[in-house]
Formats: sequence, structure tokens, C-alpha cells
Amino acid sequence: MNPPGSLGVLEEKEEEHLSTPILGPSIHSDNPQERIQARRLRIAARLEARRREALGEYLDGKKESEEDQSKSYKQKEESRLKLAKLLLCGAEFVTNIQVATDIREIHRRVEEEEIKRQRLEKLENEVKTSQDKFDEITAKWEEGKQKRIPQDLWDMLNTQQVHCAGLIEDKNKLISELQQELKTKDDQYVKDLKKQSDDTCLLLERMEEQVKNVMKSFRQELHNIEKAFEVERQELLTSNKKKWERALQAHNSKELEYLMNRIRKVEDYEKQLNKQRILDCEEYNMIKIKLEQDVQILEQQLQQMKATYQLNQEKLEYNFQVLKKRDEESTVIKSQQKRKINRLHDILNNLRSKYTKQIKQFQEENQSLTSDYKRLVVQFKELQKAMRHFALIDEEKFREIWLMNEEEAKDLISRAFDVDRIIHTHHLGLPWTAPDFWFLKNVGPISQQQQKSATQILEELLMQTEEEETEAAASEPESYLDLPKQVSAKTTRKILMLLCDESGFLIESKLLSLLLPLEKSECYLLRLDAIFSALGIESEDDLYKLVNFFLKYQAHHSPSSQEPTSLISALEPAEQIDREGEEEESLVEGETEEKETPPSPRLIHPNDVLKILEAFVMGLKKPRDFQAPVKLLKDVRNNSKDSEYWKALTTVIPDSTQNLWDALYMALEKYHLVLTQRAKLLMENNSLEQQNTELQMLLQQYLGSKINSELQVPPTQVFQVPTK
Amino acid sequence: MQETITTPTMSAPSRSSVSTQDRSSATGHASSTDPQPSKPSVAPPPGKSKGPNSGASVRRMRRIIAEDAEWSLAIVPLLRELCIQHIVKNFQNNPILKQLPPEDQQKVLNHLSPDLPLAVTANLIDDEGYWSRCCMQRWPVCYVAKYGGSWKRMFFERHLENLLKYFIPGTTDPAVILDLLPLCRNYVRRIHVDQFLPPVQLLPRPRSGEQSDSGSEGEMEEPAMDHYQLGDLVAGLSHLEELDLVYGVKDCGMNFEWNLFLFTYHDCHSLAATIKACHTLKIFRLTRSKVDDDKARILIRGLLDHPALEELDLSHNLIGDRGGRAAAKLLSHSRLRVLNLANNQVRAPGAQSLAHALAHNTNLISLNLRLNCIEDEGGQALAHALQTNKCLTTLHLGGNELSEPTATLLSQVLAINTTLTSINLSCNHIGLDGGKQLLEGMSDNRTLLEFDLRLSDVSQESEYLIGQALCANREAARQRALNPSHFMSPITAKGPENPVG
Repeated sequence: MNPPGSLGVLEEKEEEHLSTPILGPSIHSDNPQERIQARRLRIAARLEARRREALGEYLDGKKESEEDQSKSYKQKEESRLKLAKLLLCGAEFVTNIQVATDIREIHRRVEEEEIKRQRLEKLENEVKTSQDKFDEITAKWEEGKQKRIPQDLWDMLNTQQVHCAGLIEDKNKLISELQQELKTKDDQYVKDLKKQSDDTCLLLERMEEQVKNVMKSFRQELHNIEKAFEVERQELLTSNKKKWERALQAHNSKELEYLMNRIRKVEDYEKQLNKQRILDCEEYNMIKIKLEQDVQILEQQLQQMKATYQLNQEKLEYNFQVLKKRDEESTVIKSQQKRKINRLHDILNNLRSKYTKQIKQFQEENQSLTSDYKRLVVQFKELQKAMRHFALIDEEKFREIWLMNEEEAKDLISRAFDVDRIIHTHHLGLPWTAPDFWFLKNVGPISQQQQKSATQILEELLMQTEEEETEAAASEPESYLDLPKQVSAKTTRKILMLLCDESGFLIESKLLSLLLPLEKSECYLLRLDAIFSALGIESEDDLYKLVNFFLKYQAHHSPSSQEPTSLISALEPAEQIDREGEEEESLVEGETEEKETPPSPRLIHPNDVLKILEAFVMGLKKPRDFQAPVKLLKDVRNNSKDSEYWKALTTVIPDSTQNLWDALYMALEKYHLVLTQRAKLLMENNSLEQQNTELQMLLQQYLGSKINSELQVPPTQVFQVPTK
Repeated sequence: MQETITTPTMSAPSRSSVSTQDRSSATGHASSTDPQPSKPSVAPPPGKSKGPNSGASVRRMRRIIAEDAEWSLAIVPLLRELCIQHIVKNFQNNPILKQLPPEDQQKVLNHLSPDLPLAVTANLIDDEGYWSRCCMQRWPVCYVAKYGGSWKRMFFERHLENLLKYFIPGTTDPAVILDLLPLCRNYVRRIHVDQFLPPVQLLPRPRSGEQSDSGSEGEMEEPAMDHYQLGDLVAGLSHLEELDLVYGVKDCGMNFEWNLFLFTYHDCHSLAATIKACHTLKIFRLTRSKVDDDKARILIRGLLDHPALEELDLSHNLIGDRGGRAAAKLLSHSRLRVLNLANNQVRAPGAQSLAHALAHNTNLISLNLRLNCIEDEGGQALAHALQTNKCLTTLHLGGNELSEPTATLLSQVLAINTTLTSINLSCNHIGLDGGKQLLEGMSDNRTLLEFDLRLSDVSQESEYLIGQALCANREAARQRALNPSHFMSPITAKGPENPVG
């Protein structure tokens, strides 16, 4: 699209005079150029349209069928193309000025260059020629110097001057030429300025024109497009209306058809309905007959049912009568019963009042009795206290008396023994052995033996066994006395250890932690203490029972492996035996020591310990109940022992010795008689001797007296007194 | 109030339509005359004279009030209105705006005078209406679209431009501009100055007659001829994107002196430093400023590896081959999209170096070498470069003394290249054969939309045919733009066929 390609600089001026065409260049313009342009535009438009058609085919092949659609589209495209062309042309039209100035500038530059070159050349030539001339002149100066003749010199100087003037003139000419050129250039500049302003004016004008043109054409195109749209709309409207009408008609006809169809169908259905009705009527009659028959049958059945009903009714009426009578009877009975109830109620009330009264009475009584009881209890307690006091005192007294008596008896016995010994040694000349009886060593009342607590025993036991272990010496008789006969201290100890090890669960955990730092034996002791308290073992007996139980269990189990339940039954006899054993203990002591060899406690399996304990605890519950009476019995029993004791004391000297003593007594009596006689004789002798001595003394006295001297014949001379 | 002229025309329709269709007309009318004529005929005349007569009349009055907004003038104005008036009156001393409710803000803004000092308004008022009034008052012609549709930006940019235009170094106080800086820094995006005044010469120059060859003279007096230094200003503007400068004097008329058009080395250095420091700059134009090779090199050195620069325009200067080479270097060291070297003195070597840079460049979209003298050597080099370039869309080689050899090469390029949309070869000596060859090349091209061959000695026939081809291309492009999905396929299908055939 470059129609105004050949536009020259001059053309623009022509164009600017043109009255701007409304729709771009027109074919009927006076300007041939414009006509050409217009024709070209037309051709271009046709080509474009063809191309567009092709393109349109390609683009929207489907749309071809809808001509009305493409009308506005066509118009739009057309106007668009027209406007685009217009814009393009306008832009070109405007920019033509720039291009023209550009080319002018280029031309100018080229020319300028050329002129410059020429000028330079010219200047160079000038320089050359002037240089030549100058050289000539300078050469002539040399020449001039050699000239001696003033005339010549003057001539030469003149010529020289002329030459110089020529040179200067040349230069001046050049300068003036250049100045001329400059002036022309200045003029050119002014012209250029004018041209430039003209150009700008032209540019402005064209732009304005262009703007106007474009606006106008845009408006027109808009108008055209609007028109086209309007037309298209109208067409569309009419076509749509037609279509609508057609559619409406079609719709109407179809509606009619539907109506006809419907009528036909309605008739059909009516016929079918009639047929159906007849059929239904027949069926209905059939069913009616059948049902009537059914009704008859049912009525018959109803009659029968009624008959049975009558019968049943009569029966029931009879029953009803009977029941009524019974009812009456029962009412009578009921009233009687009621009366009775009333009476009984009265009695009950009376009794209740009595009962309450009695309760009150009894409560009072009870209160008084309880107060009595309390008082009595207090009294009893006091009494008991007194009793205890007295008992203590009695005991003390008893002990004192006992001791006194015993002392007395022992004195006596010792005297008897002394006598016996004297008799034996002195009189019989037999060796005498002192008899050894337990009661001789006994001091104090025998029955005062105390019940030691289990723990004490334990302590003793442990201590003892320890000692035993350390010393391995012979067992002390004292300690052995405390132990039951059947069991050695060692086995007991072992059993207890076992127990201690196995039944740690009975000990409180707090205690265990406290026990840790203690010694082994102490630890055992405390543990066993705790276990016993848990098991309820209090006294020595219980402990021995336990030990025995263990042993028994072992004995039972080793041969027959009996159940522990049977053991419980075995426990009681064992206890009794124990008790008896204890009673006998004092009598049979010493002999029973080695009745049984205690089975080694090793045979008791640690696992059995718990079972044994269980059995033991079960068994222990029973004997607990008997313990109170047993204690009473123990107090009474002591008396019998006393009598035995005292009797035993009396029989210290056996009968044989008594007999011996009797015989001896008799002999000694006889001997005594003799001796007494002898003693009498001796006495007489002694008295005689004494008389003799006395008499001698008297004699001596007499003899020695002064009278004798005075006497003529002294008596002493008369008799001869034996000198001693 | 401002529409006193329109009131007479507007009053008639308002009276006839019985409704307050235009409040401003009514206000104008009411303020000028009494409100009665504007009232509908339903309202009785005593509405104003003896209003508080009875309840019914008051009610009727009420109805009238609802219909005529200005009727209430007889009554004491609202306190709100008074306050707003007061605020408007004292806005200069006590600017209250943000604290007001929006409708009152609007009222205040509508009544503010455009003559208020900028120090008050600049950062306070964002209302476009106010700024449009300011602009309208100062300049008769305002084209807002050029300023991104923002009146405020327009106001500040033009205000700054005015200040810069008439700034005379040495006499004008630089604080005039620097004071404005904090006010306009957020709104100015472009500085467009087409004149920089030189310092005033107090003494009349004795050698005024010898100004024709000022090249040697200028350098001597350079220190005295420095223009305003943009450095401080540009550094302060945080959103500056475009710098459009002309170092020259407008309207000098017959007072012309070469001296007035001096772009000194000092100016050049400072400008280079300024644009180097401005990282937001996108467009830099320095035209008609007698930038020669050395100055161009200084400037371009400053622009190397600039982060944002997209367009460089150094048209109408004196840049030669060395400047061209520098520009070529810049092409490979920046993201330049548009390069304009129109009307310079770039010759074949400069064009060759540009072509070399262009061959592998992927940023440049437009290259303008109008009115240079690259001749066939340069043209051929550019054509070769275009065979590999896949980015350039616009190329202007008008007035470059090109001839047939370039045309042959360009025709080959046209057959291959699919990115070029516009080529301008006007004012060259392509010749008839060259035109035919171009036509051949054009027959295989489907992307070129503009091809200017005016005044280049091409036969009318080939020019016409080329025009046809361009038309077809344009149509295709339009269709492509309209619905790309439908038209991409045929074109891409056609694309590979054409270069082969």
C-alpha cells in the first residue's frame, strides 16, 4: 500500500492546495495524481475484498449461508479497511514532508560536501600558487640584495611591490569570495529557516486537515456502520418475525393435529370403557350371587351359634345364681371375721399397752440392775484388787511360812542326818552316805514356777544355742529344764529360723527396713517376735506347741504324707499330751529326756512351712478358748504338790534306818543304864573323894590352927596325913 | 459559582423539570438571584416571605427544601458548612484535611484555591480534582495522558520543568529548585527540559563577529559556560524514570550565538555521573545538544551496565564512528531496548560495529539510524547481523546513501527474518533492481507490516506490489491479534513452508 510513492517534493505543494476530499481521494478529482491514487485505492479495495472473500470463506465457511449476518460484518470490514487506508495515507501524506526534507538534507549534504571539497581544492591551489609567488618574491629579495645599483634596486623593489600587491589582491579576492559564499550561506540559512517554517506550517496544516478528514470519515463510517446495523436489524427483525409466524403456524397446525388425535383417542377410550363396564357388570353379578350364597351359609351358622349361645347363657345364669349365694355366705362370714378381727384388735391394743408398760418397767429394772451391776463390777474390781493384794500378801506369808517350816524341817532333817551319820559312823561303824533328794535343795514353794513369755524363751534359746555353738560344751542342766523333752534346742532353733525365713510376709515392711542395720541374732529375734505376734503366739506353751506341731507334721508326713487337715485333729491330743507331760514333768523328769530322737528339721521342706503354719493357726483357735479354765486349775494344783512335798520331807529317813534306830535305841538304852549306874557309882566315888578331901582339908586346918600349937600334943603328929 | 455563564441556559430546564437535576446550576442561580424562580409552581410564594405561618405551610416548605437544595440560604447556614468555609479560608495556616470525614474532605478540596503554597499542599492533597484545577489555571493546554493520567504528577513535572527552563546559573538561587525537591520527589517521574540557559555574560563580547567557528573559542570559555547541574535534583527524585534534555536555548531569534548552544565537557561529565547514579532511569534522551564522539563516549561509559535503562536517544547530535562504536558496546552491556542515533554522523565503521553488536543482541527492539551516512558497507553489515538477530522489530535506515547491494542482502533477510515488523529505507538510492529484489524478498515474508521505500528510486510497480504484501501481512497480524487461538495454526503451518518455497 504505497500509492503516493512517486510523490515528489513539488507534489506536496499541489496537494496542500487541494480541498480535502471527504472520503480520501476521489476519482472525479481535478488532480490527476489524486485520480490515480483513487483508482489505486479502488483496485486495492477490490483486491482486498476478493482476498477477504477468500479469507472469509476460509474463516467462516458456515457463515456464508447467513447473508444477513455478513452484511454488517461486510460494512464493518469495509469501513475498517477504508479507515485504515485513510490513516495510512494520511500518515504517509504527513510524513512525506519529513521524507522530503530528509532527502533535501541529504542532497544538501552531498552538495555541501562537494562544495567543501571544491573549496578545499581551490584553497589548496591558491595556497600553492601564492606559495610559488611568495617563493618567487623571496627569491627576488636575494637577487635584490646583490644589486648595487639603486635604480635597479628601485625597479626591483617596485616590481616586488607589484608582486606583493598582486599576492595580497589574490588573497583578498579569495577572502571576498569566501565572504561572498558566507553571505550566500547566510541567505541560504535564512531561506532555510523560512522554508522550515513553511514546512512546519504545511505540516501543521496537513495534520489538521488529516485530523478533520479522519474525523469526518470516521463519523461517516460510523454512520454507515450504524445504518448497516440498522438495516440488518430490520432485516433480522422481519426475518425473525416471519420465522416466528411460520413457527406459530406450524405450532397451530400441530396443535390442531394434536387436538384431533386427542379426540380420536378419547373416543377410543370411551369405547374401551363401555366394553370394560359390561364386563365388569357381569363379573359383578357373578360375585354377587356367590356372595349371597355365602351369606346364607353364614346365616345358618349364625343360627347355630345363637343356639349354643342360648345354652351357654342359661348355664352361666345358673352358675351366677350359685355364685351369688356363695357370695352372700361369704359376706356373712366376712362380717363375722371382721368382728373377730375387731375383738382381736382390742386385745392386741391391750396387750400392746401392757407390753409397753412392761417394757418401761423392765427398762427401769434393767437400769437399776445395770447400775447394780456397775456397782457390783466396781465392787468386784475392788475386791479383786483386794484379792490380788491379799493374794500377794498371802503368797508372801505363805512363802515365809513355807520357808520357815522348810528351814525347820531342814534343820530337823539335818539333825536327823547328823544323828544318822553319828549312828552309822560312831555306833555302827558303817560308812554313811548322805541321801540326795531334790526337795532337799528346794527353797521356797515349788508351785511358784512362772510362765515365761514366748519371746523370753526365744531369747534364751537363741542365746543358749549361740553359746552352745561357740563353746560346744555340755549343755547346762538349767537351760534344759526349760525346753520340752522331745525337742532339743538345736532343732527348735532350726525350726524357728526356718519359720523366720519363710514367713517374712507377716512382718511389716517398715520393721524390715529398721532391722537391716541390726545384728543377726537380734534381727532374728525381732523378726520372730513380729511373726509370733502376727500368729497369735504368746506364751511359751504356744511356742512349744508350734515346734511340736512342726515335728509332728514332719513325722506324719514323712511316712504317709497326710493332709494338714488331719493334723489339726492330731494337734489336740498332742496338746493334751503336752499338758500331761508337763504335769508329769516334775515327777518323771530326767527319765523322759531321751524318749524320742527328734527328727532332723532339715526334712521339713521350706515350701511346707506355710501349709504347716496355716494348719497351725487353724488349730490354735480352738485351744485358745480353754485357756482361762486351765489357768485356774494351775492354782489349785499347787496345794497337792505341797502335801507331797511335805510328805516327802517326812519320809527323809527310811523305815529301815528307823528300825535300825529303834534297835539301836534299845541297845543304847541298856547301855545307857549301865552307864548311868556306872555314872552313879562314879558320882558316889567322886563324892566320897570329895568328902575325903574335905575332911583332909579340915584336918589340915585343924592341924594348922594355933590352938594346936597351944595344945601339948598337936593332932598332926597323931596321924600321918597322906601327902599328895 | 464558577458556572455563572451556564446558569442562564441551565435555569430554564431546571425550572421545567421540577427536580434538582443539577445542583451546581441551582447554586449558581440561587446565589446570583433569589431562589423563587427555580422553585416549582407547586410551591406557593409565601414559602420564603412568611414561612412559619402554619404547620401545613411549613410542611409544604419542607417539601420544597427537599427539592431545592439552596432554598435554605435564608436560614442560618449549617455549622458544618461554616466550619468548612473557615477551614478553606485558613488552609494555608492550618491545613486540616485528613481528620475530616470523606464528604467534607471533598467539599474542602472543591473550594481550595489553586494558589496555595506548594509546601502546604504537595504532600497533603492527593485529590486529582484539585491538581487538575491547579494545572488548568497555569497552563492552557494540558494533556494528562502523557503523564500517566495523573494531574498531580503533571503539575509537579511541569512546574519543575519551568523552573529548570528558566534557571540561570550564577544568578538564580539553586535553593529555588532544591526547596521544591522534598515536595515533588514522590511525584516526578520524568524531567523533560528543552532548554538550558547559559550563565549571563555581563560584558559584551568583543569578538562576537567571529562566532562562526566557535569550536576553538568554546573550549576556552567552557568553565564559564556550564549549565545547571542536575546531579542533586536527580539524586533526590526517587521515582525518576525519564530524562529528556536539550542543551540549547529556545527562541533566541536574531540574538543567535553559537555560545548559547554549548554542551560543555563539565556538563557532560556531571550528566554522566548523574545518570549513572540514577538507578531508576529507564529513558534517557539527549538531543540537539552537539554531543560529539568524546562526549558521547563519556555519557555511554556512564550508562554501561545500567540496571534499568531501556531507551537511549542521542538523535540530532554530532556523533561519529567512535560514538557509534561506544553505542555498540553499550548494546552488549545493558538491556537497552530502543536506540536512536538519528541525524548523526555515523559512517560505515560505526555501523559495522553496531551491526556486530546487533548480531547477538537479544534486547534491542528498535534501532534508528536515520540521516546518517552508513552507506552500503554499513548497510550490508547490518543486513548480515539481521540474519542472526531474533529480536529487532523496527529498523530505520532512511537517508543513508544505501543502494542495490544492501537491498539484495536485505531481501534475503526479509525471507528469513520473522521478527522485523517495520523497516524504513526511504531517501536512499535503492534503484529499480534493488526494488525488484526487495519485492522478491517481501513475497516470502509474513511478518513485516511497514516498509517505507519513498523517494528511493524504486519502480512504482514493485513499490505497489510490496504495498500489497504489507497489506496482507497487516491483515494477518490483525486476525492473529483478534483471536490468536484460531489463527495461530494456519500461520505457523504456513510459516515453515514459505521460506523453503
